[in-house]
Amino acid sequence: MMRQRRTWPIHLTLIAVSAVMLLPFYWVFKTSISGENIFSYPPNIIPRDPNPFYYVDVWYAIPFARYFLNSVIVSAITITANVVLNAMAGYALTQNFRGKGFVLLLFLSCMMIPFQATIIPAYLITGKLGLLDSYLGLSLPLFSTIICIFVYKAAFDAVPRSLIDAARVDGLSQWTIIWRVMLPLARSATATNVILSFIWSWNNFMWPLIVTRTPEMQTLPLGLARFLSYQEDSTGALYAFCIMVLAPGLLLFLMAQKEFVQGLSAGATKG
Amino acid sequence: MGLAKPADGKRVVLRRSTRRAILVWAFLAPSLLIFLLYRILPLLWNVVLSFEAWSPLKPAVFIGLDNYQEMLFDDDVFWQALWNTFGIIASAPIGIAIALGLALLVHSNIRGREVYRTIIFVSYPLMTVAVAIIWRWMFDERVGLINYAARSLHLVDKPIPFLNSFTWALPSVIAANIWQMLGFYMVIILSGLQTIPGNLYEAAGIDGANAFHRFIRITVPLLKPSLFLCFVIGMLNSVTSFDLIYVMTSGGPGRATEILITYIYKLGFNETRFDYAAAVTVTFFILLLGITYLANRLSGGNAGAVERE
Repeated sequence: MMRQRRTWPIHLTLIAVSAVMLLPFYWVFKTSISGENIFSYPPNIIPRDPNPFYYVDVWYAIPFARYFLNSVIVSAITITANVVLNAMAGYALTQNFRGKGFVLLLFLSCMMIPFQATIIPAYLITGKLGLLDSYLGLSLPLFSTIICIFVYKAAFDAVPRSLIDAARVDGLSQWTIIWRVMLPLARSATATNVILSFIWSWNNFMWPLIVTRTPEMQTLPLGLARFLSYQEDSTGALYAFCIMVLAPGLLLFLMAQKEFVQGLSAGATKG
Repeated sequence: MGLAKPADGKRVVLRRSTRRAILVWAFLAPSLLIFLLYRILPLLWNVVLSFEAWSPLKPAVFIGLDNYQEMLFDDDVFWQALWNTFGIIASAPIGIAIALGLALLVHSNIRGREVYRTIIFVSYPLMTVAVAIIWRWMFDERVGLINYAARSLHLVDKPIPFLNSFTWALPSVIAANIWQMLGFYMVIILSGLQTIPGNLYEAAGIDGANAFHRFIRITVPLLKPSLFLCFVIGMLNSVTSFDLIYVMTSGGPGRATEILITYIYKLGFNETRFDYAAAVTVTFFILLLGITYLANRLSGGNAGAVERE
């Protein structure tokens, strides 16, 4: 790896892989602006006569704005809760206290319980809390995530001890230290928290499917699945809907790719 | 919120330690509550429920192992779903192997590697429901791109109805799943590769080790923790990818792509058999734990220690 080698075979392989990764997106995008290859065989590679009509169709055929709003509200609640709760728990784990080993063990074993597998009692519990079909009920299970707690813990651990001691000597209270010293220094952990919790909540499908009762509470993934069930593959509007749903996640990812990747690999390797 | 009140010496020291303990637990409480409510309690409830006959509005009756007995001896769908789940678990190493190859390629010093990384990773954070719809489209019998390519290259005479075929449905779903997970695996392996000191390779090069030997003797052993993490997280992600299967095939045709998670959902919310679904859930959970334990043993047995630093 250190020596200089011919690189074109590597480029060739990677370009082929990139094509496999990107082609499905292109194909769907092309269908969403032309709709043509639903009826034509062989399909054209370049869209002929591109038009935005299918996007207009989506806007009128389904309550897109409503789904979008629901998704945004649920995601906003989830993100806020995650940043606050995870920062608090992450900070607590940087302290030495009795029972810390137990709490760490508890967190790590919770990581091994996939939420989807416990969906039925989770549903019953939410029902008992009276939160079925509500924004709070939709977001509550995602309020705190263990990976993100550890991302905050790592960021707080990285704050130099001397800086905290100096702040304490200056007479700042613990609250002020957290608020004015630790949190600003852990800004990238906050970014990671925001992005990961957004992606998880935005893409979440199974939980909303179970918890929502009324069409008014449905989020985008539910709307998309429902649209599929009564449109089948017969119209370009479905693919226009796909693109409209994918776009926000895609944009956010491209803007904050670094934090996202850092969060995943930090959360995975450092626990 | 306010600043600490100035008070006299000793009392401050005492109060500070208790105050800190209270603060710590108050900070932990909300997160602990969430995990208690949505991880631990559901798990315990599942275990209890699996030994009962119960449906909403009826009192629960303890029935011992009846649910398990039915599951093991009288339920073909359960076995089908179990084997399909195993199939998906077994496909994780394939994805990881591909990702390892890609990670080695983009780890090398080539131009544009950041772009390649982004492209390979981009499918991971996207909404799985939309990804599933995209792949339905790709696999479509009449107008799908894959059938078009296969026919243009004369690989097949007539189009294959991938998602409606008992033979092809599961492999198709697995392919879509690997496609989405590839970038995640690659990112984890890349962060593992970055921890391997470069001078190890130099030393091995001086000792006359060729590229293959360096890969087997240095890269793979040192990557073991990363590969273990890939496998565990990838496995958990894949066997719980309810949305992918629900949208692509809904478990069909027949039960050809039914996996435990979709079966649990159907039992619970289509047939309202919460008690029986709980027995399947407990089995599912034990299966996941067992496989994680095995993977941990295979990867050297200390991969869990990485997480505790």
